[in-house]
Amino acid sequence: MPKANDYAILFDASHCTGCRACQVACKQWNDLPGEATENWGSYENPPSLSSETWLRMKFTDGMLNNEVFWDFTRDACMHCSSAACVESCPTGAVNYREGGIVTVDQDWCIGCRNCVQACPYDAIHFSEQMGVVQKCTLCYDRVSNGLEPACVKSCPTGALHSGTYAEMKKAAEERLQSLKAAGYKDANIYGLNEMGGTHVLYVLLKHPSTYGLPVGLSKESSKVATGWLSAGIAAAVLGFAGVKWLSDRREEVGGGS
Amino acid sequence: MKGGAWGIYIALYFWLAAMGGGAFLISLSLKDRGTKVLGAWLALIGIVAGALLLIADLGEPMRFWHLLAGIHPVSVMWLGSVVLALSGIGLFWLIISKEWPDWLVWTTAILVLLVVGYTGVLLMATARPFWSGSPLLPWIFLASAYTTGSALLVLFGSHSEKLAKLSFAFAVIEILLVAAHMIWTYSGAKDAITAAISGNLAWAFWGFVVVGVLIPLYMEAQKKALALAALLVLLGGFLLRYFIVYAGQVDVMRF
Repeated sequence: MPKANDYAILFDASHCTGCRACQVACKQWNDLPGEATENWGSYENPPSLSSETWLRMKFTDGMLNNEVFWDFTRDACMHCSSAACVESCPTGAVNYREGGIVTVDQDWCIGCRNCVQACPYDAIHFSEQMGVVQKCTLCYDRVSNGLEPACVKSCPTGALHSGTYAEMKKAAEERLQSLKAAGYKDANIYGLNEMGGTHVLYVLLKHPSTYGLPVGLSKESSKVATGWLSAGIAAAVLGFAGVKWLSDRREEVGGGS
Repeated sequence: MKGGAWGIYIALYFWLAAMGGGAFLISLSLKDRGTKVLGAWLALIGIVAGALLLIADLGEPMRFWHLLAGIHPVSVMWLGSVVLALSGIGLFWLIISKEWPDWLVWTTAILVLLVVGYTGVLLMATARPFWSGSPLLPWIFLASAYTTGSALLVLFGSHSEKLAKLSFAFAVIEILLVAAHMIWTYSGAKDAITAAISGNLAWAFWGFVVVGVLIPLYMEAQKKALALAALLVLLGGFLLRYFIVYAGQVDVMRF
């Protein structure tokens, strides 16, 4: 779980207008270039995060019960407390830093991309130019100097807040209560339990899956444990089958010496 | 994931390490020393070639030693790198030894088994539904290690008929496991399975099924050209890994 004084961000979907000021501010502060993309029928752009896009707004739209819905969610690193990128990293280059922030040591990263495959939020990406992975740093260079992250600073509607984890959690719970009182019965907080608790919390009006957020996530360590258990059983069963088959025919097969 | 996908080097590595490792593990249950030494050589070549491919695939190849500069046991890739290095040492030691002490044979066998098995665990421990949706990938890779390993020994003229039988028996197990894996993961990985069955990976998937399994099985039943059948089994082993590696990433290779 995140500690009370850890750095944290709160995203309140009920206040977001999808203006993407945060997306642009992230590019500007972190000196990230624009990307040439093609119109694929949505205002969502670019279509995914990349090594040069660390934050974007995810747009979900369509028709439901004859009514148009158009929802916006923040899409960026969640700074998990049990982060799949950290646990899958074979060198320790991706690691937890002061205040629970997850960052990449780009002088130590070898560019194996195991973290890219492991991240359930698709939030860490390989840069071919640099040969290493890059992602959101929670603006560690800003927050450690008492400034807000660039995305939070730029938000014109009050959908983004930053502060300590305890403050953000309290603010999320208060917002949830007032939304429930206003009749949004499906409102919920996302990130309290996901991947050991994330340092970015979301207040949502509907079920997380309707915003395209992953639910029912399992931790990297439990996936690894399941994997080794399965491999162990496989080795015992298949290895035994092979050895048995051969030893039954040892005279025919292994004859000679 | 622009350029960040795991590609042909990874598929080749999975194939080479499993093929050589499988040949070694099978040769251990045979009696004659010649085949055992051959198995150790094949495994060492597969593992060294595979390790070189892995290093070449890194974004910063010269930093490969960072893998062995710390201890990160939860990371399947870290553990894989360690067992890869240790198994190479074990195999080299066996090759230069006149006598094979039991403890060294056992230790090396377990390390080689880990090299073959960890590749399945590596893919399972990801956020890719086609890889992580079922626990069967280590089973498929192990079965395929025996299939391709025994086919490789057959190609080297070792106990052809019986080992060819073993190879084909495991090929049947393997294709059943692949079918089970695809049914198991279908609900979460429709894009991957569509790509394999009828999309841009169909050549690899059906190539594995037809060229890598069905034709060799037919040839085995007809007792014809066992060496050619064994060669097709090896090709099938590569196509299997190719389609698994690429299908797992179809929905993230967006632009």
